Amino acid sequence: MSEPRPDGQPAKAPLSMLVVDDEEIVRESLASWFREDGWRVDVADGGAAALRLAAANAYDIALVDIKMPRMDGLELQARLAEAQPGLTVIIMTAYASVDTAVRALKAGAFDYIVKPFDPDELLHLIGRACQQRELRSENERLRQSLEGAAAAGEIIGDSPAMQRILETVRSVGPTDATVLVQGESGTGKELVARALHAASPRRYGPLVAVHCGALAEGVLESELFGHEKGSFTGASASHKGKFEQADGGTIFLDEIGDITPRMQVDLLRVLEERAVTRVGGKAALPVDFRVVAATNQDLQAKVKDGSFREELFWRLNVVNIRLPPLRERPGDVRTLAQHFLERFARSMNRRGLRFAPEALDALAAYAWPGNVRELQNAVERAIVLAKGPVLGVADLPLPVQQQPPPAAPAGSLAEMEREHVRRVLAETRWNISRAAAILGVDRGTLYHKIERHGLQRPADAR
Amino acid sequence: MHADDTPEPLRGIDLLPLPPFPAGLAAELAGRLSRQVGLPVRVLGGDLLGDGGAPAPVARVPGREQADADALLARLEALPRVPGRLLLGATAEDIGNPVFTFFFGRARQHGHAALVSLARLAPEAQGLPPDREALLRRAACESLHELGHLCGLPHCADTACVMRFAPDVEHIDVRGAGFCAACAARLPAGLAGRG
Repeated sequence: MSEPRPDGQPAKAPLSMLVVDDEEIVRESLASWFREDGWRVDVADGGAAALRLAAANAYDIALVDIKMPRMDGLELQARLAEAQPGLTVIIMTAYASVDTAVRALKAGAFDYIVKPFDPDELLHLIGRACQQRELRSENERLRQSLEGAAAAGEIIGDSPAMQRILETVRSVGPTDATVLVQGESGTGKELVARALHAASPRRYGPLVAVHCGALAEGVLESELFGHEKGSFTGASASHKGKFEQADGGTIFLDEIGDITPRMQVDLLRVLEERAVTRVGGKAALPVDFRVVAATNQDLQAKVKDGSFREELFWRLNVVNIRLPPLRERPGDVRTLAQHFLERFARSMNRRGLRFAPEALDALAAYAWPGNVRELQNAVERAIVLAKGPVLGVADLPLPVQQQPPPAAPAGSLAEMEREHVRRVLAETRWNISRAAAILGVDRGTLYHKIERHGLQRPADAR
Repeated sequence: MHADDTPEPLRGIDLLPLPPFPAGLAAELAGRLSRQVGLPVRVLGGDLLGDGGAPAPVARVPGREQADADALLARLEALPRVPGRLLLGATAEDIGNPVFTFFFGRARQHGHAALVSLARLAPEAQGLPPDREALLRRAACESLHELGHLCGLPHCADTACVMRFAPDVEHIDVRGAGFCAACAARLPAGLAGRG
């Protein structure tokens, strides 16, 4: 696996290059030069052949001659960029000119080089291109890492159940333990996976998500483990599977309860051996990954009825996180609704939006069979429909509007007062003057009630 | 040579100096190379690339004072292959091709003939006083590098390995004079012995 690169650094897999030139000697000289350096090199004698190759194979770098009959290098550069957006293109030219350089760089080329090539100059150029690619992929990993960190902040809820989940994420995240996240659709299983990844030392590595239930067995096998060129009809190029892509990071296997018995066996082997064998391949490639799996099914029941392998279940269920449906934590609905309102108001540039108290009551009374995702969609829809700054019941989806009015909460007078004060404070975002006016008390009395009921100003209201 | 895991054992190297070649240098290079690889290195005489009459003209790179490396290598490769032996052509001329400005050497992986040029290895090429020892040391290293390619080795990332790519003379001096353990393990019996 460990072939050298022209920049002198060892790489995990050979880098790949496409050389496009109508002169055979250029193609063959460059191909042999780079092959000696461990590159996988394909050659094309013109734009049409290059585009055919680019449609079937992924390349890291393309060396493209600027002057070719039928399609010149700059046009080919533009079309290669469409076919493979991440491809680094270097233009080759027989004559150095500012005009050529400007045209090549404006067309999106990484750089240009003048023929004949000085080996040292070519080596440095390719080294710089490799470094830029490495920086770009590191940037992508960091972006994912930031998204993961943000995901941790997206796990919202004051309920004891959600607080326990956050605590588990904090304590299990930094370990390499396999985690099985169980919960109904829309409860935020992928969010938990992202938060676990963000809390781990792997956070600068990739987080690769696979939705196992959406893919047929053969496709999933190739998607997870990769395949070698020619291993099946249509396998026109070798393909790195999701496990290999997740090397050094985390793989999130969503809808794990949907995989077939044969895939369960294959997956169990990978989890035990920490190595994958590509479809049509012979060698097992060692891969360093952490697994977070998720399902909306009762896996233990599936183990009992024999449709899910018990060994695989125990491999996955090292740490179990059960996400409660929203109906089991109605107290979190208002907090979540407020959170989504602020987030969408920001992204839609509609600051100053708020819920009418009746709208919040309606949201709190609804059972949310689609869980947090349904609530999120409902809030987004309400913001889009609302004409003014106040989101009313009429802006909510019909099933939410048609809820019976909420029954008065049972409890002592003090409990009812506490709940009412908390709700008004939340609705006014802890604007003491406005809340006091709504409650019909002065500010001092309100401060007194806040202290007596032990109400805490939330961080986002400060 | 064979690309599989059980390469044919090497019995020796044939060094073919391509005229004009400095007198005595071929024998010195053969001796040094022989000590380095642990195999006999035989200096071939006569104009093997000629047709028995006048020496065959060497193809030039258009517009440059250089011999065409690819054309020279092709002529070396056209010579009969001797089982168990590798052929190393050595020229004092600068070599290049229409695509690259120069080469220190040329060889095809798994081929049987290689070419080295001493033109840029001599300290005089860098404006320094002549130093025969430095020239011989570099020539032996570059020869070993090209022989490594004939045995199927690609370039190596190990800075101490002779198979590390050297874009200039300084890199030849800095890199090691022998094969790293990983490259040595891929060589046929004989060649990896020393160096």
